[in-house]
Amino acid sequence: MTYSIIARCPRTGRFGVGTTTFSLACGRRNESLRPNVGISKSQAFYLRRVDPFALNMLAQGHTPAHIAKLLEDDDPDYEYRQFGIIDRESNVFAHTGPKIGQWAGHQVGPYYAAYGNGLAGPETVEGIVAGFMSDPDAPLEERLMRGIEGGRDAGGQRFKGMHRPERSGWLRVVDRLDWPQIDLRVDMHDKTVAELRRIFEAFKRHDAYYQELSRNPQNAKPEEEVTCES
Amino acid sequence: MTYTIIARCPRTGRLGIATASYTLAIGAYTDGATRPNVGVTLTQGAPLPRNNRLAINSLAQGCTPRLTLAALEQNDEHFDYRQIAIVDREGAAVAHTGAHVRKASGQRIGSGFVAIGNMLASEKVLDAMGARVESDTGSEFDDRLLSALEAGRDAGGLKGSAGALPERSVAVVVWHNQDYSEIDLRVDFHDGAIADLRRMYADYKPTAEYYEERARHPRNAIPAMEFADMLKKKQKGAS
Repeated sequence: MTYSIIARCPRTGRFGVGTTTFSLACGRRNESLRPNVGISKSQAFYLRRVDPFALNMLAQGHTPAHIAKLLEDDDPDYEYRQFGIIDRESNVFAHTGPKIGQWAGHQVGPYYAAYGNGLAGPETVEGIVAGFMSDPDAPLEERLMRGIEGGRDAGGQRFKGMHRPERSGWLRVVDRLDWPQIDLRVDMHDKTVAELRRIFEAFKRHDAYYQELSRNPQNAKPEEEVTCES
Repeated sequence: MTYTIIARCPRTGRLGIATASYTLAIGAYTDGATRPNVGVTLTQGAPLPRNNRLAINSLAQGCTPRLTLAALEQNDEHFDYRQIAIVDREGAAVAHTGAHVRKASGQRIGSGFVAIGNMLASEKVLDAMGARVESDTGSEFDDRLLSALEAGRDAGGLKGSAGALPERSVAVVVWHNQDYSEIDLRVDFHDGAIADLRRMYADYKPTAEYYEERARHPRNAIPAMEFADMLKKKQKGAS
């Protein structure tokens, strides 16, 4: 019970992930992105070792499609897994195992993949893509956020005929540096997607200050005097 | 406007960080700060993200925490504005609080841990954190780290130019022997963030093993929703 959008920005080459789910603290599994290497974001009956493995394979030069084959050959329960992989040339591969149960599926684009399980139906995935594509000129993090909002607005998650809330969410974008450019989380909230948007907007107002504080601390004014409210 | 404890668990060798701040999304600064069987570090005050990997790579090459800290100093023209903690896999610990780090600030170095803080109500915050992590040896390592933050908060927490400041973000991160974290919980922007995290910790902890197990044996797994309902019933019964 999760839906995600992963993408490589076609303009900047940045990689990003936006995800939301019923389980708590989904962003704790933050080993999905490696700058200038790629993305691997697994879910459903996820094995923690899959994403680091896939990223290591990407770094060695394997394609996403070949890595999927390696994963399949090495996993008797491959039919329960769901994942998306993107490399730095924007090759995209997504897999949705037929035994995940409930509605699960994915949609692959030229530099992105949207996918989920335990969803209301294909409309959730379509909603993610529509949100993500609503403004292709927007920064990647904004596009990912809109993707998640699109999935929510299209019906989100459902189990045994009942809508199920998003309780945690995660938004991360990496550029060329080892550490993320943006990395925001909601670990437990009953309106997770709206909460992630609230934090995202607040972070955008603070981001320039934080970067300056790190680089030129001698010029920084006290943080409690920084009024970044909207 | 941040207080942090980093530590090595003397029983299990786990490495972890607990940090609370007025700054948004303080947990984002823990990226790259922990490497299993190598060490743990954090730079705050004026944070410097590149320091995490530089310190960990230095420890991995065999440098002592002391030598590593010297490298961070020589590599940074604004070292006076940084507050840095480093603990290695043997529990050796060092810290630095630059002259320009905002007061009340300071550091406490113990066996296998460092507490650092700036813009504190007083240095009692650091004493309380150190005392808690040293005395609370019975509970799980992640719980001890979170508990140290609570002790810091209860000893006065953060203070800015116009008085007390709320903890708006918090993170608890522990790595064991895998190349990914064992636990990593965050609150990114909410007053009373430490209490939020404690509440989340109580809810999250019983689910962690379930998610591992269902991935290993998906054919026998009960659905996540059913597990959540069972858990809720059990907790109701217990309370």
